[in-house]
Amino acid sequence: MVKDSDRRRENKDSLRASVGRRVEDLKASTDSSVLGAARFLGLLYGPIDRRLRIDAALKKALDYRLPPHAGWRHAFGGVTYLLFIVQVVSGVLMTFYYRPSAAEAYQSIQHMVTEIPFGWLVRDLHHWTANLLVVAMLLHMLRIFYDAAYKSPRETNWLVGVLLLGMVLAFGATGVLLPWDQWAYWTVTEILGWVEALPIFGGLAAEFLTGDAVVSGATLSRYFALHAVLLPWIVFGLLTFHFLLVRRHGVAPSPVKKHEGEGMKFYPQHLLRSFILSVLVLAIVFSLASLFPRPFAPLADPAVPPETIVPTWGLVSVSLTAIKYLGAWGLPLAGLVGLTMILLPLTDRNPDLRPGKRVGSLLIAFGLLAMFMVFWAAGSGEQALVDIARPPEVVDSSEVDLNPIRLPNVGPTPPAAGTPQGGE
Amino acid sequence: MKRLRLFFAVGALVVVSSPGNLLAQSNRDRIDTSYGCVTCHSENRANFLEGIHADYGMRCHDCHGGNPRSFELPSAHSGRFIGAPNKVETVTLCASCHSDADQMRQYGLPSGQLAEFRTSRHGQSLLVEGNNDAPTCTDCHDAHLVRRETDARSNVYPTQIAETCRRCHEDAALMGRYDLSTTQYADFVSGAHGRALYEEQNFSSPTCIGCHGSHAALPARPQEVVNVCAECHELVGRAFLDGPHGEATNTGEMSACLSCHVSHDSEAIPNADISEVCGACHEAGTSAGTLGDEIESLMIAAESDVEGAEEAITELRLAGQNVADALFRYQTANTYYEQMRMAQHRMDVDVLEELGRRVASNSNEVRNTAEIRAERRWEHKLMLLPIWFFALSGIALAVFKLRESA
Repeated sequence: MVKDSDRRRENKDSLRASVGRRVEDLKASTDSSVLGAARFLGLLYGPIDRRLRIDAALKKALDYRLPPHAGWRHAFGGVTYLLFIVQVVSGVLMTFYYRPSAAEAYQSIQHMVTEIPFGWLVRDLHHWTANLLVVAMLLHMLRIFYDAAYKSPRETNWLVGVLLLGMVLAFGATGVLLPWDQWAYWTVTEILGWVEALPIFGGLAAEFLTGDAVVSGATLSRYFALHAVLLPWIVFGLLTFHFLLVRRHGVAPSPVKKHEGEGMKFYPQHLLRSFILSVLVLAIVFSLASLFPRPFAPLADPAVPPETIVPTWGLVSVSLTAIKYLGAWGLPLAGLVGLTMILLPLTDRNPDLRPGKRVGSLLIAFGLLAMFMVFWAAGSGEQALVDIARPPEVVDSSEVDLNPIRLPNVGPTPPAAGTPQGGE
Repeated sequence: MKRLRLFFAVGALVVVSSPGNLLAQSNRDRIDTSYGCVTCHSENRANFLEGIHADYGMRCHDCHGGNPRSFELPSAHSGRFIGAPNKVETVTLCASCHSDADQMRQYGLPSGQLAEFRTSRHGQSLLVEGNNDAPTCTDCHDAHLVRRETDARSNVYPTQIAETCRRCHEDAALMGRYDLSTTQYADFVSGAHGRALYEEQNFSSPTCIGCHGSHAALPARPQEVVNVCAECHELVGRAFLDGPHGEATNTGEMSACLSCHVSHDSEAIPNADISEVCGACHEAGTSAGTLGDEIESLMIAAESDVEGAEEAITELRLAGQNVADALFRYQTANTYYEQMRMAQHRMDVDVLEELGRRVASNSNEVRNTAEIRAERRWEHKLMLLPIWFFALSGIALAVFKLRESA
C-alpha cells in the first residue's frame, strides 16, 4: 500500500516536473509565439527537422528584412491576395450546394441562402469580396505606378500583373451569370450582344461563350466551368510566377528618397502588421456581407426582358456605363485601356523614377483610375434595359423577300387613269 | 446549266398560264373588262374590293341593280336601278339580305338588326319621324368599304367603336339640336373602361355598344341600369339588389348604380371616399351615415392588410426566400378582399366583417413569415459584435506586440 502511494506520488511529481519543464521551455524560448509553439510540438527540432532542415529555412525566412522604405502602402498586393483566398474558400464552399443548370441554379442558391447554416454569409462574402478585390487591385496597381515599379527589371512582373487583372475581369464576367436571375441573365445577354458586334473575332467569341442560339443552360455550364475550374488554375499559376518574381527582384526602390537603416524584420514586425491588416480587411468584408446582402431578382426568363437590371458587381457597372454612353465603342475602349497598360512599360523607357519627372505617365494612370471610378459610380444602381441593349440591326424592308415564289403579274393589267374602255 | 434554266423558265410559264392556276392573284387584283359599272364609278371599286361583300362575290349590281353589261347611259342604269339610296331606302336595301335569317346563317350572322334598329333612338328618329339627322346603316358601317367585324380596321372593331360614335356625338351643333352632351367620348377614354380597353388592350371591357346596344342603341332607363352593369359585374349587381338600395331602385327612389358611380368615365370609388359618397344622400349621424363610415373603415383596413402582405412578399422575394406558400396565402387574402369589394354593395356590415377577418388572418400569416425572416436577419447582424470584438482585440494585441518589439 505504501509502495503504491509512493509510486503514485512519484508519477505525479515526474508529471509535474515534465509539465514544468515544458512551461519553462516555452517561457525560455526566444520567440514566444510561432517558433515556440513549433518547438513545443517537437516538430522542428525533432526527426523531421533532422532530415529537411526546416529550422534553417524558417529562420532564414523570419530573418528576412524588408527594405527600409516599405510601408503601409505596400500592403495592397497582400490584401488583394488575401481577398483572393477568401474568394477561393467561399467559392469552394458554394460549389458544395450550387447546381450549374438552368433548372436548378436559382433554386439551389435560394436553398443555400435560406436553409444552409451560414450559407447566406458565404454567398454574400463572395459577392462583397469580389467588389473589394477590384478596389484593392487597383490601389495596388496605382502604388506600382507611383513607384515606377513597372520599370526595368520588373517589366515581366508588370505584364503578369496585367494578365492577373484580365483574369479578375474574366472571373467577374463569368461569375455574373451564375445566380441565373433576371439581372444576371439579361446583363450577360446584352453584353454578349455587344461582343458579337465586335469586328473579326467578336462573332466567334460570342458563339463560343454562348454555346446556343440564346443564353441558356448551355451557356451556364460553360460559364461555370470557366469560373470554377479553368480560371482558378490559371490564376494560381500566374500568382506563383508573380510572387516568385517579387521575391527575385525584391521590393522596388523608393522613387523619392534614399532611406537609411536596415529595414523592418519580417518577423515579428511585418508579420504582425500583416495580421492587423488582414483582420481589419476580413472584419470589413464580414460586416458588408451581413449588412448589405445581394438581393434576389426574379428567376431568369429568356422570354420576358425586365424593364431594368441592377449590376451587382463593379466591373459590370463599368461595362454597362461604357456601353450606355459609347455604344459599340464601349468594349473596344475597355480593350484599349488594357492595351495601354500592357504597352506602358515598353514605351515608358525614361529611367528616372521620380514622380516629378514622369508627369505624363502618372497623369495617364490617374486618369484611367478616375475614369474607372466615374464609370463605376455612373453604372451602379438600376439601369434601364433599353439603354444598354444593342439596337436591332436596321433591315431595309424592300430587300426582304417575304414571298420566295414571286410570280409575274398575269391577267389583264389595270387601265391607265382616264382611258375609256368600250363605250364612247 | 443554261438548258436547266430554260427548262425551269418554260415550266414556270406553263404553270402560271394554265387556266386553273392556283397561285394566280385573287379576284380583287383582276379587272373584268366586261363589267360596265367601273367605266364611270372606278372610285368606288377599290373601296368595295377591300370589303367583305366582294370577298363573297357580290358586285355593284347586287345592290344597285341596273345593267352591268352595258357601257353607256342610259341603258346601264336601266331596269331595277337604285343609284344613291336615301337613308330610309338604305335601311330597306341592307335589310333585304341581312334580315333574311336563311341567307345569314351561312355567315354566322344575326338577322335581327332591322328589328333592333326600329327600337333604337336612331331608328325611331329616322323611320318614324323621318328625321334625316339620324344615322342609317352606312353612316356607321360605310357604304362600300364594309369590313369584317374582326378586322382591326373595321368601324365596329372594339377599339374603333368609340371613334365611330364620336363622329356624330362630338358634333356640338348636331347634338345641340337634341339637348345631348358631347363629352361622352372624352369621358369614356379617361374612365376605367376606356383605360382597360386602350391601355391594357382588355377587349372584355365594354365600349359604347357594350352598355347601349349597337343597332338598338338607347341609354338605359333608370330601372335598367343595374341590369346593364350586372351583365359584367354580376356579383356586384346581385349584392346590390339584395340590399336596401336594390329595393330603393325598384321603387324608383334612386337610379341604381348611377347614384354613386358615373356613367361614361366610370370609376370604382376609392375606399377612402366611401363615406363621402354616402354623405351625398345620407346625413352624417343617421344610421345610414354611420353605416357608411363603418364600411369605409372596414374596406380601408382590408386594403391595407392586402398591401402589407404584398410588401412582405416583395421583401421575402428579394431575400431569396421561397414564396410559394406566402403567395398562396396572399392570393387567398386578395380573393376575400375582392369579395368584400362586391359584397359592400349589399350594405351588410356583418358580411364585410367576416370577410375582413379572413383577409386579415391570411395577410397576417404572410407578414409573420416576413417578420420571422427579418428577425433572423437581425440575428445575422448581431454576429458582427463578436466578430469586431475579436478582430479589435487581435489588432490591439498585435499593436501592443509591435510596439514592444520595435
